[in-house]
Amino acid sequence: MKTSAEHPAAARKLVDAGLTEELARMKLFPKKEMPSGMRKLNYWAMNKIRKALKDPASSCWTNIFAPVEILECFDLSCLSMEALSSFMSGFKIEDHLINGAESSGIAPTMCSYHKNFIGGVDAGIFPPVPFSVTTSLACDGNISTFRHVERKYGVKSYVIDIPYAFSRDAKGYVTGQLKDLIKALESRTGKKFDIDRLRQVIRRENLSRRYYGRYLDEVSHRYYPKTLTLEMFLLFATHLDIGTEDTLEIFRLLSRDVKKYPEMKGKRIFWDYLIPYYQPTLQEYFNYNEDFMIQAMDMNMDYMHQMDEAHPLEALAEKMIRNMFNGPYERRATHVAKLVRHFQPDGVISFCHWGCRQSSGGVNILREEMRRIGMPLLVLDGDAIDRRNSHDGQIKTRLEAFLEMIK
Amino acid sequence: MIGYVCKYTPLEMFESMGAEMVRIQPQAADQSRADALLHPNMCSFVKAALEDALTRDYEGIVLTTCCDSVRRLYDALKDQLPGRFIYILDVPRKVNEFSAGIFRDNIARMIRSYEDFSGKSFDQSSFLEIMKRRAAAASLSGAPRRDDRLRVGLAGVRCSQGIKNLLEDHGVQILFDMTCTGLKRRFPSFEGREGQEEPGRTLYDYAWDLLNQVPCMRMVKASGRQRYMEGFSDRLDGIICHTVKFCDMYAFEYNAIKESMDLPVLLVDTDLTAQSEGQIRTRIEAFLESLKTARRDKEGLAGAAGAVRNESGRPPRPAGGGGRAMYVLGVDSGSTSTNAVIMDGDRKIVAFDVIRTGAKSGDSARKALENVLEKAGIARSDLAGIVSTGYGRVSIPYADENVTEISCHGRGAHYFNPAVRTVLDIGGQDSKAISLNEKGDVVDFVMNDKCAAGTGRFLEAMARTLEIGVDQLGPVSMNWKENIEITSMCTVFAESEVISLIARNKEIADIAHGIHGAIAGKAFSLLKRVGLKDEFMMTGGVALNEGVVKAVEERVGSRLFICDQPEIVGAVGAALFALEKYAG
Repeated sequence: MKTSAEHPAAARKLVDAGLTEELARMKLFPKKEMPSGMRKLNYWAMNKIRKALKDPASSCWTNIFAPVEILECFDLSCLSMEALSSFMSGFKIEDHLINGAESSGIAPTMCSYHKNFIGGVDAGIFPPVPFSVTTSLACDGNISTFRHVERKYGVKSYVIDIPYAFSRDAKGYVTGQLKDLIKALESRTGKKFDIDRLRQVIRRENLSRRYYGRYLDEVSHRYYPKTLTLEMFLLFATHLDIGTEDTLEIFRLLSRDVKKYPEMKGKRIFWDYLIPYYQPTLQEYFNYNEDFMIQAMDMNMDYMHQMDEAHPLEALAEKMIRNMFNGPYERRATHVAKLVRHFQPDGVISFCHWGCRQSSGGVNILREEMRRIGMPLLVLDGDAIDRRNSHDGQIKTRLEAFLEMIK
Repeated sequence: MIGYVCKYTPLEMFESMGAEMVRIQPQAADQSRADALLHPNMCSFVKAALEDALTRDYEGIVLTTCCDSVRRLYDALKDQLPGRFIYILDVPRKVNEFSAGIFRDNIARMIRSYEDFSGKSFDQSSFLEIMKRRAAAASLSGAPRRDDRLRVGLAGVRCSQGIKNLLEDHGVQILFDMTCTGLKRRFPSFEGREGQEEPGRTLYDYAWDLLNQVPCMRMVKASGRQRYMEGFSDRLDGIICHTVKFCDMYAFEYNAIKESMDLPVLLVDTDLTAQSEGQIRTRIEAFLESLKTARRDKEGLAGAAGAVRNESGRPPRPAGGGGRAMYVLGVDSGSTSTNAVIMDGDRKIVAFDVIRTGAKSGDSARKALENVLEKAGIARSDLAGIVSTGYGRVSIPYADENVTEISCHGRGAHYFNPAVRTVLDIGGQDSKAISLNEKGDVVDFVMNDKCAAGTGRFLEAMARTLEIGVDQLGPVSMNWKENIEITSMCTVFAESEVISLIARNKEIADIAHGIHGAIAGKAFSLLKRVGLKDEFMMTGGVALNEGVVKAVEERVGSRLFICDQPEIVGAVGAALFALEKYAG
């Protein structure tokens, strides 16, 4: 596939063939150890990407924090930059795409998700869509990346600027931007926005979050066989497709399915930030292993409040401003501490992803907070998608020493 | 004394309350405390600023939410310096009336917070007086005088005073500095302001003017930057785009300038430590040389080929008179080897010498001079001129001039093969790709970043790990069978990767082949950035390694021209410059 990336059409075909084959394999030979809730999540997430890649005209590029609820009301498929990059890493062509972006002058120190995305667009693997919708929340790479692809490929970039702290005016500022976005989408798609439809989306989102809460309560103390990849796939449900019927169904299923599983006897780990799903040592310890299980990761719980259906735009604005990644790092550390108290793990692992300053730069504060509540913490450095930036020897020694320590 | 880092900081408000505002311009040799309090992979500016803040006696530090790294700097400072005024001001990324209103309220909150901290109080009328004075002063400043100096603009982020000094030392006129706090603050809303102020209006106008400065790249709309630069395009010779390691935003600016403006542009990437100064000097001097050549071509003027004066300013010796043969010397003082070439008036190489650079580059240079004079059978006084190049070029006392290795490798490559358009030079600690025109002038060049990945040092480290000599790497690798990929580009990581391959009993030939593949990958991405134009030539000692040459040829899909003595190409270029300058 690496060589074919020089021939975009062929590469796109190969990506599609790879996804189709994987989907067929999942249907025909489902992994026995994978719970049915996770099986559904796995199939649906992959299928969604496949469909969206095949139909760029009715898709839109986003980032993980974009207000997808609004996009759903315009029947747009959301292709998040992070998800696209992760799939390329799944096909093991991330090095090729990242090299491509770097040799076009993109800083090598930049986040690999962004570099991979730019490389994928340059290589023609991600066919340009009409526009992108992103936010400035948490990560300031989005503005640069999507402005870059707008300049190069004419993919109009809509950015929602998220203020640092919540206030009535801040909420008004974001709500105003959402209204502007809706106007722009109406004129671009020719569709009329229906606020009642958005209310339904929010209603499903609230319900999803309630089911999700029940699942989390159970998964914190049960052995629910998972993989690193599945934990990352959960981001589709908690972020990229939240509010749809499919997602609601998945959360409903997860909340029932998890109860069928036994109490966890081994060590329970709470994960902070991204997971390098491909990492061999981490896979060895955490994929379908009764001795060590990742209960959950905080990325999937960055906003857990119920939203006001009656005022959906204001509710979306509030959701973004009050996200745990916004504002001073202290907010995030406190939020993680709260989650940790709820999940009662044996230890916490925090992952510093290459190029992610907003997260890595606060790890010292997280360390102090975990010390304060008496929770063992392991900080791992690496890369969530680029294998070259995660050193197995280093990760292995650190992880094994940590697991020995909490025994 | 209150420190600040960002142009969106409301300095004038603090000043109206009697605070002394100081721009934090850190240069920290040691960033170990910052590495521990933040993370090693943070922007170098922020790390150096943290070191600075922990060392100096600031009353407070006012930051803005300008980027991810600065937001984390705030968290660390707040944690480390309780009792000081540590504040972060949220600056909207969009500019409209609503956002200006929010910004005004944020500023007002900040000032109240400072009032509480300092016990001082803010007085609107004294603030307004300051603003009127500033606006009047700003509107008076005129356009810079036109002369025939080189004219460059500074784009990117956080350009240090060191770089500006370097440019000024080379007689360059800086037309603008649009990095962070480089542009003059302007407050058009306060120009010619008279009469009574509506309550609330003053602060709103101030917020509005601050937000409407030439934007920085963190703003949603940054097209104003390019418009600003284009306003100078009829006068500019080139643009230097400065970025800081782990600040990614301005690599995008470099990319945009390069693609959409028809001007030479140089990317300089620093980590604000003293160690990076040598590398910056080479890049900037080479860029200035290429600008001078371009200017000379444009104006059709004869003149110096862009040689940079030695710091001593000593005038060159006159050419050997009385009908005697004329000789010049080019000496390339690199990090690994020192190479000297003597050339005669007919552009013929009379003698050359290659020795290993020892701990003192000056000693090696002296030795190389003695050797090459002996080989040529001439005396020192027979040399009409000496041009030095390479890393140690400024520390060679006997040289009359110095020219960067970029220009010299370009000139040298053209000498050996005039058809060459793209040169790859892999040196001891720098690798570079140079694009040449049909006259052998440098049109564009890029260099590796600070780390040693993809340089001769990388090969040396790998050879050491394999316990073979660096000169054996090439021959050994030719017998490879299994294709092994060395994925880590970092020298340290790659070393442990090689160790684990050895532990897995992999063949040395296969590992060596993998190492060459890694070097070729890095080289290819440099070559791609200057444009892959036929024909290709590789220079420098690494060109003697057939394994690397083959791996690069495979990536490029074309043959590399290698001359008999690839390590003397830079010295030959230097000799050619000497000839141009001193030959009768």
